[in-house]
Amino acid sequence: MSDDRLLSAYPREGLELRLIERFTSLRRKHVLEIGCGDGRLTLQYAPRASSVLAIDPDRASIDEAAWQQADRGIRNVAFRVGSIEQLPEQGAAFDIVLFSWSL
Amino acid sequence: MVHALQRAGRRLRPGGMLISLRPHRTWRPAVAIIAPGYRLPVARLVNPAFDRNLRSADSALDRVVDEGWFIPAGARSSRFRIFLQRPSQMRTYLELISPPRPRFPRGGRARLHELWASAPRGARIEVTEYLVINVLRRR
Repeated sequence: MSDDRLLSAYPREGLELRLIERFTSLRRKHVLEIGCGDGRLTLQYAPRASSVLAIDPDRASIDEAAWQQADRGIRNVAFRVGSIEQLPEQGAAFDIVLFSWSL
Repeated sequence: MVHALQRAGRRLRPGGMLISLRPHRTWRPAVAIIAPGYRLPVARLVNPAFDRNLRSADSALDRVVDEGWFIPAGARSSRFRIFLQRPSQMRTYLELISPPRPRFPRGGRARLHELWASAPRGARIEVTEYLVINVLRRR
């Protein structure tokens, strides 16, 4: 494998979660994630959360996220193509809304 | 951006948390050549287009607090490092970042190659990136 494939432009796994959990626990929370991309961060915290709705406007990224989700056997995440503007104003209330590198 | 935050606020339960994780607005990514006992700063990457987005994000967060949607619950900065084995990996690294991508300031890439040519054996390129987290509580 070329070592170029090991490159990432994001923090190593766990750093963002530690930052978030300095302020609030994700355990058993209903989370809405805006701009989830390929689910890199989503799939790190999903095992702690009760449920996650993760949206991103890029279909290819959502397809990759869904593939990664299936590969890891994580069942409490719904990945959807879309943006915050397309989300209905009414609906189940979330405990946490996370803008992950997307605001 | 304000509209997005307001919309997010409508879907949060009272007391729920809005979390924004994003690059730091003023601490730009720093490139250095490193080896044991050796650190040579090369340049800070620039990204004028993205800087405008980050300023808008900061303003939007301030505004939804001023408008009474949220109460500030905390903010913190952090940093992380990316290590590259050689200058040619810089292009790959930059292409991993969603547009608008950062770039070297004028003369920065040439300086990297120039300094790399005289770097000690086993040297690496280090990119230090800074991020900020803002947490707001829904009223």
